[in-house]
Amino acid sequence: MSAPPFALRDLGKSFAGIFACRHIDLAVAAGEVLAVVGENGAGKSTLMKCLHGFHAPSEGCIEVDGAAVKFNSPRDAEAAGISMIPQELDLFAELSVFENLFVGQHRPRTRWGGFDRRGMQRRAKEILGSLGVDLDVSLPVKALSAANGKLVEIARALNRDARLIIMDEPTAALTEREAERLFAVIGELKAQGIAVIYITHRLEELFRISDRIIVLRDGALVASGLTANFDIPKLIHAMVGRPLEQFFARHPHPPGEIVLELRQLGRRGSFERIDLQLRAGEVLGLAGLVGAGRSELAQAIFGIAPADSGTIWIGGQPLRIGSVADAIAHGIAYLPEERRSQGLVLPFSIRENISFAALEHFTGWGLVDRRREGAFASDALRRFGIKGAGIDAPVEVLSGGNQQKVLIAKILALEPKIVVFDEPTRGVDIGAKSEIYAIIDELARQGKAIVLISSEMNEVLSIADRIMVLCQGEVTGMFSRSDFSAPAIGAAAAGQRAHHVC
Amino acid sequence: MAARASARKSRAIHFSVSRFTARPEAPSLIFLALLIVALSASTPEFATVANLRGVLEQVAVVSIVALAVNQVVLAGEIDVSTGSLVAVCSFIYGDVATAHGEAWLALLAALMTGAVVGSINGALATYGRVPSIIATIGMLFILRGIVLLTAGAQVINLSADSRLFGAGTNFGIPTSLIVLATMFIAMYALSEHSAFGRDVYAIGGNPRAARTVGLPIYRVRWLTFVLSGLSCGLAAAVLLGQIGQLQATAATGFELKVIAAIVLGGTRITGGRGSNASPVIGAVLVGVILNALTLNRVPGSYELLVLGALILGAVAFDGCRQRLLGRGR
Repeated sequence: MSAPPFALRDLGKSFAGIFACRHIDLAVAAGEVLAVVGENGAGKSTLMKCLHGFHAPSEGCIEVDGAAVKFNSPRDAEAAGISMIPQELDLFAELSVFENLFVGQHRPRTRWGGFDRRGMQRRAKEILGSLGVDLDVSLPVKALSAANGKLVEIARALNRDARLIIMDEPTAALTEREAERLFAVIGELKAQGIAVIYITHRLEELFRISDRIIVLRDGALVASGLTANFDIPKLIHAMVGRPLEQFFARHPHPPGEIVLELRQLGRRGSFERIDLQLRAGEVLGLAGLVGAGRSELAQAIFGIAPADSGTIWIGGQPLRIGSVADAIAHGIAYLPEERRSQGLVLPFSIRENISFAALEHFTGWGLVDRRREGAFASDALRRFGIKGAGIDAPVEVLSGGNQQKVLIAKILALEPKIVVFDEPTRGVDIGAKSEIYAIIDELARQGKAIVLISSEMNEVLSIADRIMVLCQGEVTGMFSRSDFSAPAIGAAAAGQRAHHVC
Repeated sequence: MAARASARKSRAIHFSVSRFTARPEAPSLIFLALLIVALSASTPEFATVANLRGVLEQVAVVSIVALAVNQVVLAGEIDVSTGSLVAVCSFIYGDVATAHGEAWLALLAALMTGAVVGSINGALATYGRVPSIIATIGMLFILRGIVLLTAGAQVINLSADSRLFGAGTNFGIPTSLIVLATMFIAMYALSEHSAFGRDVYAIGGNPRAARTVGLPIYRVRWLTFVLSGLSCGLAAAVLLGQIGQLQATAATGFELKVIAAIVLGGTRITGGRGSNASPVIGAVLVGVILNALTLNRVPGSYELLVLGALILGAVAFDGCRQRLLGRGR
């Protein structure tokens, strides 16, 4: 038996001593579609970036046609016939379609020594034609739809003689019809003997187009086999099936009156027809996959990207939340997902970061009362258990978990009634995690209404009173605490509509 | 039948018109054309051969440098050291020409000086990771400092032989315009028909994607700075040829006129979008407006005011245009 064209042998990649993936063995045959699935953070992207030469593996090796190779950059991987199509379009918007195909490639020349534009256009048309696509190749790429952009990226890979194309969530930005067209193109690629590695969160797609599936969990390969040997429940079990670690105990409180109500709330392209009633003292978990519309919903409630249909009711009053200022005025606080880029001002001191949002409380006659501000910050340090530095140290010296607590102190300084946490424990260690859970529990006890967005199943299961599951912008499940089950929630997140239990 | 053919024709015309208006230099070109028509009608002295020739000769030096700095800007960087670099190169040119009497040797020396300084700028901005605006402002001050220290009181007067590249005519065309035309053709060929030129657009337009496809980002950006330096050497020879004498404050403020010409011509200051015609059109536009002020006896003290307003207007206009184009889709 001849060696497979592409293989990973015992591959591992660590960052600062922590392995993002390890002991991965994998072979891809010509003309095969291999699906790679796993939860966020399971190590899929790291693995693919190793294969595409973006990261150098820490352990093991990559083999091309049976020989071990070392990629120093994506350029080497491309030369070996491996192309990657990232999730977001990676094209040159101002350049024409055919120019995009030839960037970094040998371009044909005319007798006069200039570039042979007609020749390039012809070649571009040919490649797109072989995929069954008809486009005006002289148009700039910025004039194309996202779907056509994807096809141009595939054509670009073919123009570089790729034998393996890695597609990361290619259908994330596509409509159903456009996705169908992409599947047809993948069929063409298979017929041409080109291997495809396909990463997606939309599980039903895999069963349509893949030959084999591998499942990653916590950086390890936990299941692999022919697609025919899997079904959705089995796949979900492999993806999330670790035992539920109860490292935190919630103290449920009797919920109070309805604080926040959403009626048929929608924002075009993000989510639609969301109905929700949230009571004081209640923690609502918002589960779903990346891109399901959870953060978009939170941002609509907080006025960052206002809803364009439906209404938001707060305390029994219909309101229009058109800006962040509106949301804050109505007692809503939001802890953003990206704490470095959206939350903290890194060079500022801890004191300034905490008082930032509520500065007017410490301001008299236009001047900041430093003493009151300092007292408030010191008190916050104590209440939220922020450790590692005093109030006048720059916030960037703190660890991730303590930075997150600073941010929580900041958004709570305004005494909100409704708090939305977006991935509050991402990138923080286990100790800080349970402290953040304790803060959320305490806030619920004080009667605040809480929305918790998290991609970690265990987190939502252990602290939420109810869980609402979104998939592609729609509610696919609502579970109350007695009905919590990881497989059922996982299925709802993958688009399997659960019966409503609310 | 005829109706269908004419419909097809009108569609084709509409198509090519919309292609033209989508080009980066289109607004400035249209504005320039309207301005020329208006001035020809209102100011009798404007549309004379002598006047137009004078305008073009005046903008030749700025255009030469702008054509090269345009590449720097397209690649997503900026070079504001050109004013001082032109002055340094001019002194090199002047000294060599006076000492040896060889204009071509002087040109070579000026080009080499420009290339060396350009490559230092480029190395700082890429391999040295200094933002190019900072690196080239530093270079601007350093070079002007050197000129003031070494040539503070010196005034160079060039002999007629050494003014080869800026004075006089060939085949009835002013030499400086021949140099400019040559430069334009060279830049056009480089930009549209060399891999380097295409990479410049790609890197400025989407550096992340450029990395994914394995383009040598640093090398390309570095080369654009070298090109900018070389153009300063050439511009120095033309400038000296035109004015015939030189002092230490020569070409002060020149770097901003270069940037103004590029931006007015329609090249996006953040890179990736623009054309080779942009810097020349931008420079001519400035030249025509200043000429119109002069012809209409507007005091020279209004020049900066008008130029500044023009730049702000142009950039704001382009912002609105991009938004409208984006919405139409």
